[in-house]
Amino acid sequence: MMFAIFAFLTIAFLLEFLGRRGPALICLAASLGLTLYLFAWEIYSPDYGFRMPWLEVELEERPAAAGGA
Amino acid sequence: MKDILDSALAATLDRLILCLMLLALAGVLTAAMGFQYLDGEIPCPLCLLQRVAMFACCFGLIQQLRDGGSQRGAGIAMIFAVLLLVISVRQTLLDIVPRPGHAYIGPAVFGVHMPVWSVLIAVALLIGFAVRLAVLGGLRSAPPPERSMLPRLSYVLGLYVAILCAINLLSVLVQCGFGQCHTTGYALLR
Repeated sequence: MMFAIFAFLTIAFLLEFLGRRGPALICLAASLGLTLYLFAWEIYSPDYGFRMPWLEVELEERPAAAGGA
Repeated sequence: MKDILDSALAATLDRLILCLMLLALAGVLTAAMGFQYLDGEIPCPLCLLQRVAMFACCFGLIQQLRDGGSQRGAGIAMIFAVLLLVISVRQTLLDIVPRPGHAYIGPAVFGVHMPVWSVLIAVALLIGFAVRLAVLGGLRSAPPPERSMLPRLSYVLGLYVAILCAINLLSVLVQCGFGQCHTTGYALLR
């Protein structure tokens, strides 16, 4: 997958320098699409999904107010 | 006459800002490859995706420098600057709490780790584009002055970045093959 991303990107550069702007943009868009897919795949965890539980905080248990209502 | 001078000056200033951005990104990508090949730091998948975002940002800058009549290149560069920001912030948050199996990859440069540098670079790029728009407006670039070095400089820089991208393609092939990337070694050299 990573190879395909870099391949599309390199081809996009090549086509841009050859003056083929339309195909270059198509290759760049393909690279962007694959990048987004691979990024989502890389950060997805079977346990947490896309969440980041190590950053979450828990509510501190508050002592019961003395003589509460 | 004054308008023409202003326009030529604005066009030169516009190219200068874009060239500086391209130069900065080329420097960062060269440094990243230096760490990889000279220090043996194998890039992680998210690190490689950040390189992709930087290269694509360069693509937008090159297109903008080659065709100043439209702002498409700048728009492309901004899209990938935002992508760079998203990926680098996610990686920074991934390793921000030390725990088994999670630590910042690579050496700290001036005390700042690589993904955090990426966040700073992405923010700097976005600020650069914002300043460019704020100062020059929606400029329709006039052709650069005939004796200007900037067109040649931008061409050489663009070519250099394209060559770096091709080298990275080969490097990714050696590191990942056609499959998943790992930081444990180069897949094709085992």
